[in-house]
Amino acid sequence: MEHLIAVFFGLVAGVITGVIPGAGVTVAMIVATPLLLSFDVVQLLLFYMSLASMVQFTGTIPAVYLGVPGETNSLPAVIEGTKFNKHKLSKLAIGVSAIGSVIGSVVAVALTFSLIVFLTSKITIFFSNNVKFYLYLFIIIFCVCLYNRRNFLINIFLCVLGFTLSLPGENDISYDLRLTFGSEDLEYGIPLIPVLIGFLVVPTMAKMYTSNDSSSFLPSVHLPFQKVLKYFRKRCVFSAVRGSVVGYLCGFVPGVSTVLSTNASYGLEKKINPLKPGNKLVASETANNSGQFASMLPLLLIGIPITGSEIILYSFLVDAGWSPFQFDNLENNADMIFKQIVPWFVLVNVVGLIVAWPLAKQILKIFRGSKNITVALLAVCMLILNTYLGILDYRVWLWSICLIVFSALGLMLKKYETIPLIFMFILGTDIEGVFYRQLII
Amino acid sequence: MLKLKNYMVASVIAVLTLFSFNLKAETKEQITVIFNGKPGGSFNSRTQLYKDGLVAAGYDVSEERMKAKQAVKLFKETDKPTIMVWSNNMVHRYDLFHNSENFIMVEYQQPLWICTANSSKGKDSMTVAHGKFYNVDLIRQIIGDNVTLVPYKNSSAMLKGILGGDVDMMVNNQGKSFKYMASGEGTCEPSTQLPIMQATVMGTNLDIAKIRNVIFDISMSTDFIEYHTTRKLERPSSTWEKELAEVQTLEKAWKVD
Repeated sequence: MEHLIAVFFGLVAGVITGVIPGAGVTVAMIVATPLLLSFDVVQLLLFYMSLASMVQFTGTIPAVYLGVPGETNSLPAVIEGTKFNKHKLSKLAIGVSAIGSVIGSVVAVALTFSLIVFLTSKITIFFSNNVKFYLYLFIIIFCVCLYNRRNFLINIFLCVLGFTLSLPGENDISYDLRLTFGSEDLEYGIPLIPVLIGFLVVPTMAKMYTSNDSSSFLPSVHLPFQKVLKYFRKRCVFSAVRGSVVGYLCGFVPGVSTVLSTNASYGLEKKINPLKPGNKLVASETANNSGQFASMLPLLLIGIPITGSEIILYSFLVDAGWSPFQFDNLENNADMIFKQIVPWFVLVNVVGLIVAWPLAKQILKIFRGSKNITVALLAVCMLILNTYLGILDYRVWLWSICLIVFSALGLMLKKYETIPLIFMFILGTDIEGVFYRQLII
Repeated sequence: MLKLKNYMVASVIAVLTLFSFNLKAETKEQITVIFNGKPGGSFNSRTQLYKDGLVAAGYDVSEERMKAKQAVKLFKETDKPTIMVWSNNMVHRYDLFHNSENFIMVEYQQPLWICTANSSKGKDSMTVAHGKFYNVDLIRQIIGDNVTLVPYKNSSAMLKGILGGDVDMMVNNQGKSFKYMASGEGTCEPSTQLPIMQATVMGTNLDIAKIRNVIFDISMSTDFIEYHTTRKLERPSSTWEKELAEVQTLEKAWKVD
């Protein structure tokens, strides 16, 4: 019963978090703190797993219908989903994404089951600077070569801008602070949410507002689930399998796991099937769920959290009496994963598939009103979210200034895909540290 | 008439009762506890234990959660009774030193450890991971000149680095060194030459002698003893004057030029 309660609350939190643009698993974990303090170790793991898995499903809904990413992982869904939307086939996009997500989860469990012995002995390979160096190199090449119709110049500009924005404050390799211009607030760097809102949400809102076709973000074609399944079986199975494997492997990369899973898989699929949005969407969404499971393994197996939200989870786990010396308990942890976590994980993903499909309709109903009202609502939500998180961070002025500046820049860049900028902003300091260490090791 | 009298008596009793509860609430001493560490970190866990202990001791506790730099600013500027956990390896970076006005207690101390990977045996030149806040000249003096020093963001990154095979050695804190030894990938030894890390409790706008007794009692609770025992943390026990003198001496060793 206790486990069911944890899973239920995780699912509810996942639904809400997924459909609110900008809100991620980390924020959801922080908001849910009062509830989480009363949970035991397994309940905490189940809550987190349900939340994170459900977000993968529901995050696709605003991404496809509204062109707004629920979180950074949903960026490929925004690009490919809006293509479906233009042809009034959003329901198809949601359907194939949900099926792909379930497949991704099942493949991740199967891979873990078959690789558990190997993983427990070799998992540390993914902590190697060398591996990270080549992965980051791959990401940069991918950013420069694949976005904005291979417009290298604009992609390089976006990468440089993103990297520049990552520079203020501390870096990974030295004691000194840099580019703070005497501002104490800048010592912690430029906050992420204003960057995401400014460079992703604002251009999307601008596109919605200036769009002539008032129903361009609203699907009108009804599709029964059987047809979606048939479409998936016929066209997307190989992409789903590819996405699952790529996503699973990338899920182990510290710091970026599911972001890398989604985008690496998307990049690969873009190479293989450049003109098939369905395949690209399925590959990225499948990788997302597969990567989500993989990203939890280092924490569960060796006690090392590798994503921001896992760090929050880790703190709750320790408070709930979890031993921080997990190296002693590899076999026990593997046992716990397969007996207590995996069955719920599979169930959660099936629930996600069932919920995402009808939920999409409800979301659609909410946003069926005037396009201008939708844009205004989104703008107000973003403003409230930014101010609220700014207050929580004790840097509300910096957050507000950043929001204004980045929104203006985002509007100027609205005709370009800004994903290279976001990548370099999020990974900039880590990339700098990895490249520096690669030079001296 | 009798009814009215009864109502009046009842009202007076009610007012007096409320007033007495209010008086009791007002007599509670107020204190602010600053949570200045990341969730999951030792600062956060310890602060929570102190907060719980202060509540149990009858204090009216309010909490503030913020990053270290903001915490230091608040600690220096506040006019309210406030406590905060601190550490001697942070004093130079954040310009908040221990003195007779703010020092309450040393909670525990731990040496830095030097870990060596099993795979590095027999190598002529070594790569050594160190935190970006460590004194590299001192590390070079201790380990030798024939090493390549590799900076990492924090203790977790160093642990991942040595587990991933990036480096042959690391200079890390006790907790991460224990984890490394438990992995079976290498061995660690405590350094007698590198600075010793001391975890302290600081306070401001407080009667230091009085709060030291309260904090000391809290730190002797079952939860705290378990916290220290599981992490094998050494608890120094001395007079306030001696502890302060020791802390002030040891914090100098953490200066990075």
